Amino acid sequence: MAQLLPPITAPDANDAAFKKTSVLIVDDESRIRHVCTKMLNQEGYDVAQAPNAEAGLAMVAQSHYDIILLDLLMPGMSGLEALGKIRSEHPDTVVIVITGYATLDHAVDAMKQGAFDFLSKPFSPQDLRLVVTKAIEYIRTLQDISNEKSRMRTMINHLSGGVMATDIHKKVALANHAFMNLVDYRGPSPIGEPVQQLVAQPQILSLIDQALAIAPDQFGELTDEIIIKPQGQGEERIIGVRCVPFRDRLDRNLGTITVLHDITTIKRMDQIKSDFVAMVAHEIRGPLNSVMMQQKVVLDELAGPLTEKQREILGRASEKINALVNLSSELLDLTKMESGLANMEKQRLALGPILSDQALFHSAKAQAKGLTLELAPVAQLPPVLANRMNMEEVLSNLITNAINYTPEGGRVSISADTQGDYVRIRVADTGFGIAADELDHIFTRFYRVKNEKTRYVIGTGLGLPIVKSIMEAHNGRVEVQSEEGKGSTFSVFLPAAK
Amino acid sequence: MSNKQLILVVDDDPDLVESVGMKLESKGYRVAKAYDGVEAWDKIKAERPALIILDVMMPRKNGYVLCDEIKKNKDYKDIVVVLLTAVADAVKNTSYTHMDGKNTLADDFIPKPIDLDKLMEIVADNL
Repeated sequence: MAQLLPPITAPDANDAAFKKTSVLIVDDESRIRHVCTKMLNQEGYDVAQAPNAEAGLAMVAQSHYDIILLDLLMPGMSGLEALGKIRSEHPDTVVIVITGYATLDHAVDAMKQGAFDFLSKPFSPQDLRLVVTKAIEYIRTLQDISNEKSRMRTMINHLSGGVMATDIHKKVALANHAFMNLVDYRGPSPIGEPVQQLVAQPQILSLIDQALAIAPDQFGELTDEIIIKPQGQGEERIIGVRCVPFRDRLDRNLGTITVLHDITTIKRMDQIKSDFVAMVAHEIRGPLNSVMMQQKVVLDELAGPLTEKQREILGRASEKINALVNLSSELLDLTKMESGLANMEKQRLALGPILSDQALFHSAKAQAKGLTLELAPVAQLPPVLANRMNMEEVLSNLITNAINYTPEGGRVSISADTQGDYVRIRVADTGFGIAADELDHIFTRFYRVKNEKTRYVIGTGLGLPIVKSIMEAHNGRVEVQSEEGKGSTFSVFLPAAK
Repeated sequence: MSNKQLILVVDDDPDLVESVGMKLESKGYRVAKAYDGVEAWDKIKAERPALIILDVMMPRKNGYVLCDEIKKNKDYKDIVVVLLTAVADAVKNTSYTHMDGKNTLADDFIPKPIDLDKLMEIVADNL
């Protein structure tokens, strides 16, 4: 397991625990028992002694020892035999065997039978200290793993999201209660069973198959949204599904992790919100459309001749109405787009072609405004794991903003490079810039920078919030640097796909 | 070319009907007006227009239904129908798939918000 979390116990607590490390010395030579005891006591261990294997086994049966120093050659039961019994009955106990000089064969036999290490006589206090320290590190690692497992299990069992892991053969390795509840499983423990026993939903099974098929050098996260109708009563639920393969240090697939989230409420709220905005936009559009045509009819002098002044005023009014009609269309588009963000499909994407497409697409608008729109040559960019439509939306919003907020004769430059593990795209303009106290607010919904320069720029105040939520949904971020009167640079960072 | 053809404008917004009507009259067409699908059907029978500019969302009988009735009636199927629609990604001409999966037999369409000059072009093209 990767070391994601720091060890559970503080170092002091560990020290305290190891002061109490108990060692049993089983040796028929009292001198050795004595020397070892003295030395280990000095190091702060609890030490007990036994003069032969029988006595040693009796003590091991009575209480737990972390480490046993076991002489192989003793009268009565041999150390090797005692080792076998200890290993089978107390697998947690670490056994270090003591062998006579030039009896390496015995040591090898003992190691084969599960001894942790050996000391050959004669040994120095340093030799002893070394081998015991090593054993304690081993015990500590085992404890860490066991603590980690316990912590992991507790954590997973108390998550409100469903979590399930399979091995490479699609057998269930782990599944929390939330998972079983969300997939509506009511049978016995599914651990060790084929995943089909636990999961009946074909969409989830298909994601698991796909996740296992992802090439080892590629990172992939598969998502889907499914509806599960529980047996018997109970309302159907909308479940967001994410499935990823997990790998060992050599990037070999070990299995899959599937995470489920009940997104029923979010989806319903989303729907209500979208319906509301769509309704408002529609209701506004109809009358605006009429007014626009009425103005047109008057401007065309179909209702009698106009004075120059009347024509001028009506002309300006028409522009405003036109802009409002466009705005209502934009709002409708945005609601459609936003509701799709909750659980979108990501794929490996090369950003280079998307950048050139977007630059080309917006060049006419920039030209019409007397701006230079340039795309810096894009170096070899690593691909990213992203949703294509979302990326186009992000770029389109940033470039449109740059064009809208830059006066005639200005310049909008698009560039991309790699920053550590991230791909960075920058859209820089030589426009009005944003005041420092406004910078904090520009990512807030419906917030718009209003001053004498930007008054005539039409927008919803939703463009940048959308950029931000898309970037967050992609584990990326958006940053802005701006100086009033000089221009702004928006940078978006996306994690490079492995 | 005789421009005295009769055009029926159907929409539940009287202001829209008035504006479209004025524009059409300025181009020399005669104009009839209706404000819902049922009223439109009566006008079609009484006055037999050459072309109908037909809104989709209307009370009593919507534009899709009315269009269908016109195009499936052997006496009226030659009347040109131009739909006013908010569906921007509609496919031009004869039949297109609406978001609800509906097909229409309309001859043409113009998306709302309506560009009056464009509408005049469409009308001229279809007569």
